[in-house]
Amino acid sequence: MAVKKQKPAPVSLIMEYIPKLQRRMLLTIILPGILIGLACALLLVTSETAQPDNYIFWVVWIGVTILSMASNLLLFVYTSSPTGDLMRAIARVSGESSSGPLPNPHDKKYIKSGLSAALQAVYNLDSQQSKKAATSPDELGAASSSVLHSLDRMHGSLITLDADHNVVYASKASPLYTVDGKLQPQLLFNAHDTLLSWLEECEASAVKAEHSWHRIPNKPADQEDQRIFDVYASYEKGAAHETVLTLVDQTTLYQGDEEDLNFIAFAAHELRGPITVIRGYLDVLEDELSDVLEADQRELFHRLTVSANRLSSYINNILNTSRYDRRHLNITLSPDSLSEIYATINDDMMLRATSQNRMLSVTIPDTLPEIAAERASLSEVIGNLIDNAIKYSNEGGVINVTAEQKGDFVDIIVEDHGIGMPGSVVNNLFQKFYRSHRSRETVAGSGIGLYISKAIVESHGGTISVRSTEGEGSTFVASIPTYASVAEKLANAGNSNLDLISQGKGWIKNHSMYRG
Amino acid sequence: MTTTKSILIIEDDRFIGEMYVRSLRKADYDVDWMVDGNDGLVAARNKPYDAILLDVMLPERRGSDILQALRGNGEDLIPNTRVLVLTNFEQDDESRAAMQQNADAYLIKAEITPRKLLAILSDLFS
Repeated sequence: MAVKKQKPAPVSLIMEYIPKLQRRMLLTIILPGILIGLACALLLVTSETAQPDNYIFWVVWIGVTILSMASNLLLFVYTSSPTGDLMRAIARVSGESSSGPLPNPHDKKYIKSGLSAALQAVYNLDSQQSKKAATSPDELGAASSSVLHSLDRMHGSLITLDADHNVVYASKASPLYTVDGKLQPQLLFNAHDTLLSWLEECEASAVKAEHSWHRIPNKPADQEDQRIFDVYASYEKGAAHETVLTLVDQTTLYQGDEEDLNFIAFAAHELRGPITVIRGYLDVLEDELSDVLEADQRELFHRLTVSANRLSSYINNILNTSRYDRRHLNITLSPDSLSEIYATINDDMMLRATSQNRMLSVTIPDTLPEIAAERASLSEVIGNLIDNAIKYSNEGGVINVTAEQKGDFVDIIVEDHGIGMPGSVVNNLFQKFYRSHRSRETVAGSGIGLYISKAIVESHGGTISVRSTEGEGSTFVASIPTYASVAEKLANAGNSNLDLISQGKGWIKNHSMYRG
Repeated sequence: MTTTKSILIIEDDRFIGEMYVRSLRKADYDVDWMVDGNDGLVAARNKPYDAILLDVMLPERRGSDILQALRGNGEDLIPNTRVLVLTNFEQDDESRAAMQQNADAYLIKAEITPRKLLAILSDLFS
């Protein structure tokens, strides 16, 4: 049983009512008694039944007075007894000390008299009041501490942020880390849709907003204690806790998928061994047989080479996608020339175009400023865009690859004059596994080339876009920052894309949270 | 090229090893080929090669350990040698960064056909 809580004594004591009542009742008993006696005496005298000198007069007068007082006294005692009991009960539950035993509603006399129910009601009201008191303002401290304790026991977690994105509250299981002495939620968002980019959007244009992210890990898959969350955010401008993040821990659910991604990465790596041998030996043989091969045999060799190269690109796309999805796509950016990057894949691209009867025209000026790039990744992007242009253009079609400087960016423009796309397709083009209804039926592909290209470009701090007209062709533009525009940030981050990413453009595995 | 350049290949895959040996010898390089990590490290210590093609996943001793032994302890035992790390398995960031630090090139084997390799080598030696 809970300990009775000490309550302040009422200013006017409940039990003082009983003696006051007794005094009032005594007066109301004595005065009417005297008055009734006098009335009787008056009646005796006026009716000449008895005179004051007659003893009968005095016997009747005194007798009537005493009898009336006695009957009133009996009536008082009888009626005031339950009032006294009720008062004692009320006094006791109010925390007031009262003499005598506490009236027990189960006592036979109360059951018999019917007072039992009234007494029970008093005690019930008291116990309800006690329960309410637990959440009343003066008990709020204890109550909120028990709520906080409950939040700490949650499987997921709750994090609140103020207007400056500082963590105000975080339940015990929350994934947190410190950046520049500032506590932050430790969540690896996808490059194009981060908490920060959403908050910036909210601050610019929303009073209240909600958003959710799924499959957001706190650490890369190879780190211990990785957890994967569904994250729900609620924003309310001006509130003390402006942003509330609810994290639902879905690690068990998603870890199976992670294992699949690991398997895909492993399988793709395994494929690289035989691909190395096939590409290498084709290279060696083509060289050694160049004098003896007929023109048509040489074309067959080209087709073998093109196919092996495409297989290799495809494996790279799968590997990069699995790395990106596991937040492993770490890119080291260095100053590089776009024309030199393209030169590493030119032979392959030309061979691909000619063997499929397309005209590939490439004009990348040497005079463009250096860009911040990882050569291997960016050449994959250009390869993917050209591959796409080949796929979606017609026999004999012309594909133009050009580049130009636009402020702090260098645009790589890949233009085809092929089948083009309607707007509804363009909107979904960069989603993973997206294939338009029409291309599913007519063109082979898996729908990861553009997805990973976008991821790589954004990891460079750039953007990728497309404009297309159905029946006329499509133009893809990848904008990559010039090295000069990001050199300072890169130098601070040891040439990783860390700082570019902190602008909401991507992520980096080697974030400060993983160093000590 | 005035003198014949010497190259050590440390590669356990016979198909890939032979492919490099064949094309490099045709291009007039002096080529030695070792198939395990221990032999590779001994060869690298004993002869001043102009370049070493180093695989990462190797029997006996990993490529990263060989590189560490040759260059990792604050002392470069092969200052006149170019080291090209060739791998098909990208390493985790930390070991990749360490290898990139000590290597002259870090290349994906599947992307480097013999012709590209010759171009890279002549670039390094020019």
